[in-house]
Amino acid sequence: MNKMIASILLVLLSAGSNSFAQTNSTPGAPTAGIVAAAQKFLATLDDSQRGKVVFDFKDEAQRKRWSNLPTAIFKRQGMRMGDLTRPQRDAALAVLAASLSPQGYEKVLQIVEADEVLRKSGGQSIFGRDEYYLSFLGQPSTTEPWMIQFGGHHLGLNVTLAGEQRTLAPSHTGAQPAIYELEGKTVRPLGGETEKAFALLSSLNESQRKQAILGFQMRDLVLGPGRDGQTIQPEGVKGSVLTEKQREMLLDLAGEWTGILHEAVAKAKLDEMRKSIAETWFAWSGPIEKGSAAYFRIQGPTVIIEYAPQRLGGDATRHVHTIYRDPTNDYGIKWWKR
Amino acid sequence: MVEAVSRTLSLILALLAFPSAAFGHRDDQYLQATLVVIEPSEIRLQINLTPGVAVAEQVLARIDRDRDGAISKHEAAAYAELLKRDLTARLDGRKLELKLAASELVSPAELRTGAGTIQMEFTAISGPLAAGAHRLTLENRHLTTMSVYLINAAQPRFATVQITRQKRNANQSACEIDFTYHPLRPKIAGSAGQRPSYR
Repeated sequence: MNKMIASILLVLLSAGSNSFAQTNSTPGAPTAGIVAAAQKFLATLDDSQRGKVVFDFKDEAQRKRWSNLPTAIFKRQGMRMGDLTRPQRDAALAVLAASLSPQGYEKVLQIVEADEVLRKSGGQSIFGRDEYYLSFLGQPSTTEPWMIQFGGHHLGLNVTLAGEQRTLAPSHTGAQPAIYELEGKTVRPLGGETEKAFALLSSLNESQRKQAILGFQMRDLVLGPGRDGQTIQPEGVKGSVLTEKQREMLLDLAGEWTGILHEAVAKAKLDEMRKSIAETWFAWSGPIEKGSAAYFRIQGPTVIIEYAPQRLGGDATRHVHTIYRDPTNDYGIKWWKR
Repeated sequence: MVEAVSRTLSLILALLAFPSAAFGHRDDQYLQATLVVIEPSEIRLQINLTPGVAVAEQVLARIDRDRDGAISKHEAAAYAELLKRDLTARLDGRKLELKLAASELVSPAELRTGAGTIQMEFTAISGPLAAGAHRLTLENRHLTTMSVYLINAAQPRFATVQITRQKRNANQSACEIDFTYHPLRPKIAGSAGQRPSYR
């Protein structure tokens, strides 16, 4: 990501009473740092607000209460960003900054800012920076499992923590518009995903490409929000027939999702994926010209990633939904479910 | 109650007023997503039906037949029957008799927001399966003019069933799923294809 664009984005986001602000927290801190940021945020709230933010860790309804849809259609619970004071909002963002990698935090800010662009272009109050919610399942802890949820339109982050172990699965990212201008600079929240996917596709030889390309339309995510517990038969080209370089490209592409979390956690996840790379599949549906609107999927024993442009009458490259799942450990269940 | 109805109406009006090309979900299409679960003793079709806000009334007209604003058990069953008539499943060329195993219909108000999903599960007895290769075909003809489709085989829960090939038509309203049955393999349970939790 162009550092100048990132700086401009953060400066703009920190301006104005209704904006997302740059925080002073160290991005990607260990669990103790995340807990500290969470407790600091809770300390800025009154009892009533704290009651809205913290849910029981066993609250399955809240755990699954995330979606790609705008908040006016899919009702979230938790603390609405638009209902926070500026210091509270800064403290809320510090929780995210501590939980995510610098690039992951930046991606989240860009997705939120895209929704603000959508609000301004459509004049609809159901979109925008204020319409994102933060909640915790369980009390912030360095030892006991707990969870951070942050979401709204085109964003459903579910970070489960258990000691120093963390997972982002399942989480939804998306963007509309998926490309926009900010102070004369072009911002693409999911630009890395798009470019790396086309690079991987173009690296495939004819035989590999024939296997990778599905002969039918993919109009949406198969395992998007609301599809917990489902796993589909993998399709496409299998990692076992990819070259070493192509395998690294596939992992690098997956890193756009796994890398939303702190570097050490992301590396552990990619190492896990590397062990079963031969059993990991890459599938493609749609045009193959670089930059066109195409669906792709990565599926392995411990990962499912889908990227689905939305053909809703407009330019599908400007409206994208993605999902990241771990069929063996969504919501970190292997760390806490008995 | 009045406030809730008013809020829902306001939301629907706001959604309808918003240009579809700019709006964040599919509002003029009926998404029908089917997961095909193949097990040694039965075939299960888990279908999620999500009407967009602009077609929700057309779908509701086929469900809430007495137009009283509520979906009765009888109306839910009648809609399941309607859907079932539009589905054709065959195993090795033999037409399967589908039976409704579970369903959940959300309220008309929720359907009208474009966020409500109807869940239906149909089952058919597949066994006793002979060892070896089999082909399951499925065709969905339900409300074709407004629908988009997804059909996928679930990853089998048992090692005795192995999906070998999936072939769909261009819009995924029809598919062929080839699989092999290995009765002598140990049945190792996996996490996939589990029954959905109907709310």
